[in-house]
Amino acid sequence: MLKHLFKLIWNKKKQHFLLMVEILFSFLIMFAVFTLAVYNYKNYQRPMGFDHENVWALSYYDKDRSGADKDSLALFYEMVKRTISHAPEVAAVSFVSNNSPFTMSMNNSVITRNNKTAQVDHFSADDDYVGVLKPVLLKGRWYGRADDGAALEPIVVNRSFETMFFPGEDPVGKTIKVGDHDARIVGVVQDMKDKGDYKPLGPGLYQRTTRSSYSWLSRMLIRIKPGAGANFEGRLYKQVAGILQDATVEIEHLDEKRVVKNNITLIPLIVFGVIAGFLILNVSLGLFGVLWYTISKRKAEIGLRRAVGATGAGISRQVVSETLVLATISLVVGLFFAVQFPLLNVFFMEESVYYTAILLALLFIYALVVVCAFYPGRQAAGIYPAVALHED
Amino acid sequence: MLKNYFKIAIAVLKRRKFFTFISLFGISFTLAILIVLTAFYDHLFSPGYPDYKRHRSLYVNSIVQEHSKHQSHNQGPPSLYFMQRFVTTLKTPEKVAISSIFGPTNTYVNNRKLVINIKYTNQAFWDVQEFRFLEGRPYSEQQIAAGEKVAVISRETRENYFGDAPAVTGRYIQTNNIQYRVIGVVDNVPKTLLYSYADMYLPYSLSATDMANKGYNGSYTAILLGRTAKDLGAMQAEYAAMISKVPLDTASFNSIQGSADTYLASFARVLGGKASGSSGVPRFIIYISIFVFLFMLLPTINLVNINTSRIMERSSEIGVRKAFGASSGTLAIQFIVENLILTFLGGLLGLLLSGVILAMVNSSRLIPNAHLTINFTVLAAFVLACLVFGLLSGVFPAWRMSRMQVVSALKAN
Amino acid sequence: MIRLQNIEKVYRTDTVETLALNSISLNVAKGEFLSIMGPSGCGKSTLLNIMGLLDAPTRGEVRIADSTPGYLSDKQLAHFRNKKIGFIFQSYHLINDLQVLDNVELPLLYRKSTARERKALATAALGKVGLSNRIKHFPSQLSGGQKQRVAIARAIVGQPEIILADEPTGNLDSAMGNEVMDILLHLNRQEGTTIVMVTHDEQIARKTHRLVRLFDGAQVQ
Repeated sequence: MLKHLFKLIWNKKKQHFLLMVEILFSFLIMFAVFTLAVYNYKNYQRPMGFDHENVWALSYYDKDRSGADKDSLALFYEMVKRTISHAPEVAAVSFVSNNSPFTMSMNNSVITRNNKTAQVDHFSADDDYVGVLKPVLLKGRWYGRADDGAALEPIVVNRSFETMFFPGEDPVGKTIKVGDHDARIVGVVQDMKDKGDYKPLGPGLYQRTTRSSYSWLSRMLIRIKPGAGANFEGRLYKQVAGILQDATVEIEHLDEKRVVKNNITLIPLIVFGVIAGFLILNVSLGLFGVLWYTISKRKAEIGLRRAVGATGAGISRQVVSETLVLATISLVVGLFFAVQFPLLNVFFMEESVYYTAILLALLFIYALVVVCAFYPGRQAAGIYPAVALHED
Repeated sequence: MLKNYFKIAIAVLKRRKFFTFISLFGISFTLAILIVLTAFYDHLFSPGYPDYKRHRSLYVNSIVQEHSKHQSHNQGPPSLYFMQRFVTTLKTPEKVAISSIFGPTNTYVNNRKLVINIKYTNQAFWDVQEFRFLEGRPYSEQQIAAGEKVAVISRETRENYFGDAPAVTGRYIQTNNIQYRVIGVVDNVPKTLLYSYADMYLPYSLSATDMANKGYNGSYTAILLGRTAKDLGAMQAEYAAMISKVPLDTASFNSIQGSADTYLASFARVLGGKASGSSGVPRFIIYISIFVFLFMLLPTINLVNINTSRIMERSSEIGVRKAFGASSGTLAIQFIVENLILTFLGGLLGLLLSGVILAMVNSSRLIPNAHLTINFTVLAAFVLACLVFGLLSGVFPAWRMSRMQVVSALKAN
Repeated sequence: MIRLQNIEKVYRTDTVETLALNSISLNVAKGEFLSIMGPSGCGKSTLLNIMGLLDAPTRGEVRIADSTPGYLSDKQLAHFRNKKIGFIFQSYHLINDLQVLDNVELPLLYRKSTARERKALATAALGKVGLSNRIKHFPSQLSGGQKQRVAIARAIVGQPEIILADEPTGNLDSAMGNEVMDILLHLNRQEGTTIVMVTHDEQIARKTHRLVRLFDGAQVQ
């Protein structure tokens, strides 16, 4: 039977050519859609790795401080931090680099170990970071007072960093070169999705701020006790702006920044999805229309098949199977293109994302084809042999 | 003859309503999406309030400093110092507007937080940009020199800060813990206009940070306004000559590059990351064309498919027309015309549809203060898209139809 | 008027060659009304198509109205058909989407003419077949006989010298068939139009000047 169907299609290959091209393109579009969807869903599913609720970011853009005296700067900014921490509404305060959660800002360092080189997210934060964002510690500890005076600078790395540079080893206590000096790893935290819910896994390291960092730091993260509102924010703002004369001060809420950051990922995805959805709807209507039309053109053939003993259900099945064979021919070609992505590792995504997407796209196209062929098939089943044969 | 085509086209459309629906659906949605995208493009890159003089303006938004040995690379907006020392002193431009990239400040009104984005500008900014002043006026050269704490605010800021007050000139507004006297209110500008948008405009002399910064990196952009569009070339040349002579101010870099570009090019250059030479606009346009082509491909194949099926239905008509003296060429033209009629019908629907989508985008405030419209550029793009679409989807079926043998066409019943 | 000499027509598919016409020579004089008879599949329609320049013979020479159309391009052929030949088909082949008047105007669309001229000529032609009162109808609203009369009006509206009719009465009952036949005979007598008609009906055929019989692609009488 399959051979028979294949013959039918092959003999009409010219007629079917455009239909097959259409299915091929639909498959490629769905492959793209599912790749993005699977990729982002996988990232979305992983835990955030930190707690951003009730955390505010206070930025102060000040004059160039690079020439100022280190110790007086440190005294001054530590005083600012203390003043803020004293407010009863404040739970914890931490100085952080500008690539703090949900900002556009990025900072990378190149790390090399055992012939493995990679770009790594490089964060700077002080000892209280752990109390503000509450990262999930997996091994070791966060750096703190205990590291004062240590020979090597303490750093904390994340899980992806560990699996990338220390496969099968415990990184805690090991040294690694960061920039031009060695640092000792004191702890491992879970990956934090600091750039939004859709951030992929990636290696990152947290470096302890020092007294000389105050010349360039320009942001604090503040954990607020639940219930403190705009009233407190206004007071805090006034207080800080009062201390930091000449600086431009801004307070932002991490939960609001998260929504904005997520939308930056999500809106293009939604727009792309809507456009793809429209294209697919268009194709399926066209497919349906063409099949429907073909059936009315093939009345005589179908009538003959009925006359020689095909059942109505058999005819209906035949129409659907024919379309499935047609789709399979296009999909084989489509698969050839699609598998290039995981094979050549085009966009550096996990292979499994591509294969899941290919599977989903295949299922989707088959389902679409069956749905589109079902009604024309039913219609074909309803053709009476006597009438159909007489008409010609 | 055309009337005849029209009659038959309408009759064909009415006969197979389902096919007509599919065709019109495909055409109208495809075109609607194209129109909406063009409207976005138009909004982003065509002159509009308050930046009307783009045809004779050049824009500067970044300089690139590099060190060939250390592989270090720094790309970003120049500083106020750089602008004042090298850019506002250029001879060819009629005027040079400089302004900082807007930065947020906070203020608290009745326990409500307001984010006010501030832009520091020079006086020429108000001549180059044609703001609609709802009240008051811009600050003068003297006020800038004297460091007066005066501000021009947007209508939105007036509403948010002062409520329904009819006139606020002379009143005080506080943000970042500093009080400014309002001397003017301008109509809102969408946030997408990097060189124009802010909630509050201040004299550059009020920015202590910028005034103290004697480095080349900062947060300023410039608009060089020529007397006519013909000045653009000369201005570009002068800017290039100037930047090649800028003395290095730090040992970290051994070259400074940059250029003054037209509006679109100034953004394409940042995306492309090339400091001088080709701005990347051609590549940008190629990418857009490829996207549009790919996007239109599937609906077109779909239409071709449907159209080819429909031809078979009309084989008798084709046969008769050929028998009575229509040549293949005439028939092909007939079919293409019919298709164009169908496309334009679908296009009209698409126009309506895009009107609805744009109204929705505008009311959703996806881009605050932007009013996306179907204007002349968009309409021209629409007519062009219709024509291309109609031809693309009509030519192949027409060719197949005109090749049909009369004898077989008449036989098929 | 029509001169066929040693016409052969071979249909080829990938594997088989079929001889549809075998060395047919036929002359039709100006003003003659000729009928062609023969069993189905004997090649009558093929012969008619060759006379109508809808199909080209494999071998042999065709002369129509003193010219040899064998060398003409597609465009010139179309023009030639438009001027010289009118067609009538068994299944009418009216364009269902167009009203009767528009159907009749069709041949005039492919030559230089104004809308007014076309309307006048088409109305006159419809008058000749007695359908002046059906101008605004669509083909689906007409009976078979009326449809064929519209088709005749369409065939004569361009005042061709030759009319080729392929079983014009084949789909009609005898009353309607006679009606259509009367119009054709009248046309032949009054206007001197040369008519070649393929038919199955012996009785209809006898009304014409001359009868040619075909069998298996060859002329037998």
